[in-house]
Amino acid sequence: MIDVLGMTKKYGRFKANDNITLSVGSGELAVLLGPNGAGKSTLIKSVCGLLRFDGSVTIGGYENHTTEAKRLLGYVPEFPVLYPMLTVAEHLEFIAKAYRLSTWEENAEKLLQRFELDDKKMKLGKELSKGMQQKVSVCCALLPQPKAIILDEPLIGLDPHGIRELKAVISELRESGCALLVSTHMIESMEENWDVTYIMVKGRIERVCRRADLDANQSLEDVYFAITEGNSQEGKS
Amino acid sequence: MSSLVFLLARSVKNSFLELLRKPAKLILWIFVIAMLGGVLILSMFTRQSADSTLDIIWLKGIFFLFTLLFVAIAIQKGLSNGDVIFDMNDVNFLFVSPVSPRLILMYGIIRMAKMAFGAGFFILFQSNSLGTSFGIGFDAVLLLLLGFILAVCLLQILSLLIYSLTNGNPSRKLMVKVISVLVFLPLIVYAGVQFFKTGNPLLALENTLRSPFIAWAPVAGWASEGVISLISGDVGNGLLFFGLILLSAALLILYIALSNPDYYEDVLVATETAFEKKRVISQGNMNTEAASTKKVKVSRTGIGGLGASALFYKHLRESFRANRLGLWGLSSVITVLGAALFSLLLKDGGGGIITLLQVLMWMQIFLIGTGRGLKELYVHYIYLIPESSFRKIVWSNVEIAFKVLVEAIFIFFTAGLITGASVLLIVAAIAVYVLFSFLLLGINYLSLRWTGADISAGLLMVIYTIAVLVIMLPGLIAAIVIGSMFGDIGVLLGCGILALWELFAAFGCFAFSKGVLHRSDMPVMRTGKQ
Repeated sequence: MIDVLGMTKKYGRFKANDNITLSVGSGELAVLLGPNGAGKSTLIKSVCGLLRFDGSVTIGGYENHTTEAKRLLGYVPEFPVLYPMLTVAEHLEFIAKAYRLSTWEENAEKLLQRFELDDKKMKLGKELSKGMQQKVSVCCALLPQPKAIILDEPLIGLDPHGIRELKAVISELRESGCALLVSTHMIESMEENWDVTYIMVKGRIERVCRRADLDANQSLEDVYFAITEGNSQEGKS
Repeated sequence: MSSLVFLLARSVKNSFLELLRKPAKLILWIFVIAMLGGVLILSMFTRQSADSTLDIIWLKGIFFLFTLLFVAIAIQKGLSNGDVIFDMNDVNFLFVSPVSPRLILMYGIIRMAKMAFGAGFFILFQSNSLGTSFGIGFDAVLLLLLGFILAVCLLQILSLLIYSLTNGNPSRKLMVKVISVLVFLPLIVYAGVQFFKTGNPLLALENTLRSPFIAWAPVAGWASEGVISLISGDVGNGLLFFGLILLSAALLILYIALSNPDYYEDVLVATETAFEKKRVISQGNMNTEAASTKKVKVSRTGIGGLGASALFYKHLRESFRANRLGLWGLSSVITVLGAALFSLLLKDGGGGIITLLQVLMWMQIFLIGTGRGLKELYVHYIYLIPESSFRKIVWSNVEIAFKVLVEAIFIFFTAGLITGASVLLIVAAIAVYVLFSFLLLGINYLSLRWTGADISAGLLMVIYTIAVLVIMLPGLIAAIVIGSMFGDIGVLLGCGILALWELFAAFGCFAFSKGVLHRSDMPVMRTGKQ
């Protein structure tokens, strides 16, 4: 569903992403791990069509800038940006109208209830806390029921209820056949559901790790530290 | 103390090294310094033509009003959040360090003086026009800058003190408001008496400017009296008023330092508010409403449109919620009233509506960015909506197009009535102004498309401004040359040619910026320090 082939993103002479190739299939949860400055957010923004790049990115077989690709894609940015003068409900209404969704009200209501926003519908974007803004941002991304969802540090700023619900939503989406690409520093949060992990270091994918590749006593965290801090910890429980 | 000196010295050194590492920034600084040099040389020549100059008392009036504006801002800031004299990094590192709070306050005040110099820097660029109008040289302009810096520094300390004394105390806030009016009351009364005595507003104003009431008006009066005295050669009087500013500043600092060594809480709110504003902007929220604490009543809700047009209906909802006049806020009212006032002044001078058009076009170069359409580019939604780029760009700018058209009709018909311009000329001026705005939108997108938005916001602004000048030049030359060949109808013809050129150039810019939404990076407002 999400296919990145030989993608390079440069800022001047600096390569933020260097010849990245990855793919996320339907019903697959891909986790993007890496230290700060590894180029995860740049990769995500490029896949979403927010940055220029060299190489190829397709969503469902469509080049990522086409309307067909955009119709399939949902995006939760690292920093939630809401319109200060729109209410929570209007954010969802705007997305519904812009995406030409025909029946969306029921789905919107369910999302708002799930993230405990149903009593905040009339609150303006600027009146919400960062955590609330993040929840609205997630609802906006999920409303068009996309087939591929990209989440950049989605758990940051959420309260425990929000974290639990979002993890459950991610799990349900995966079960329903949605392709998910999640960038996170909270490795343990994805431990249950991940299918493939891309570990990035200095703009490159240093290792692709599939769940089946791991030993029974090896965790995702072990693999991560083995790659980013040398081999000394690999194999520990 | 050594840590604070280290911080100041290292900041200066690193700023200089950063300049060397960023050639674009270095070129910009060289350009500014070269312009200053040019202004200095020009002012040396214009000093000779002192015959047709205005009385320096009017410069005192202008400087007084200008400084008075900063007095009002300082009092307002003091009554709300206090002034920003520290950055968030100072709060995080210095405030928790074992350095004396009094020394940290000194450090903040030194940094503040640097900011005041930055704020008054533009005064240096006025030396040519000041030389022509008042027959003063560059040395006098430097005195104006010095007076401004002293006044602003004092006002920032005053603002901090007001906040410290009135924070969370409504009765003290009321007292500050009353005192703020009372100290200017003698001046207001004197000006009123003069007006009734002479019956001539200009003469009354001149008498007021020459009176001691203005000289002793706090801060604004002291600064203007000090500057004008020094320029006029009355060194004693000048030093007296500059000394008064310095003494007041020293006393206020002493009071804050001795009475309130725990002033951290007083500066924290302002610092955090300023930091939050920068953070919100750097994360893409360019709407000024995001940082506003104004309470907004939500009555009517809902968004119309379908597909790309939802952007326009969203803009309508946002604008009408932000203010009752919707697309036309207070700035529109001020522009129409200002244009009417300007037209009154130009009434007898000839060519009134064209002069007004020129001024408004200059302003529009910088005001076009206030439309919601261009701000959409800083947020991800417009990029992800599954519609064609062209439709999204068009619908996101309908709001500003509609706003400009209605504003132009009000402005130029009002100005036309006042100046007695023909209906044809009014319509031509509206066409030139509206199409110029259309062209500016095109140039904005072209600048983004051409640079890929992979540069700082400041440099993008410079490129955009240069592009406006270069693109407008052929149209302006053609309009002036052809217009000057046809006597009475020349102005009308010139406007028509310019409007046609703007339309043609705008279409060209939009055509060359095709696919801007996916051929440039989503721009980021780099606000520097956070």
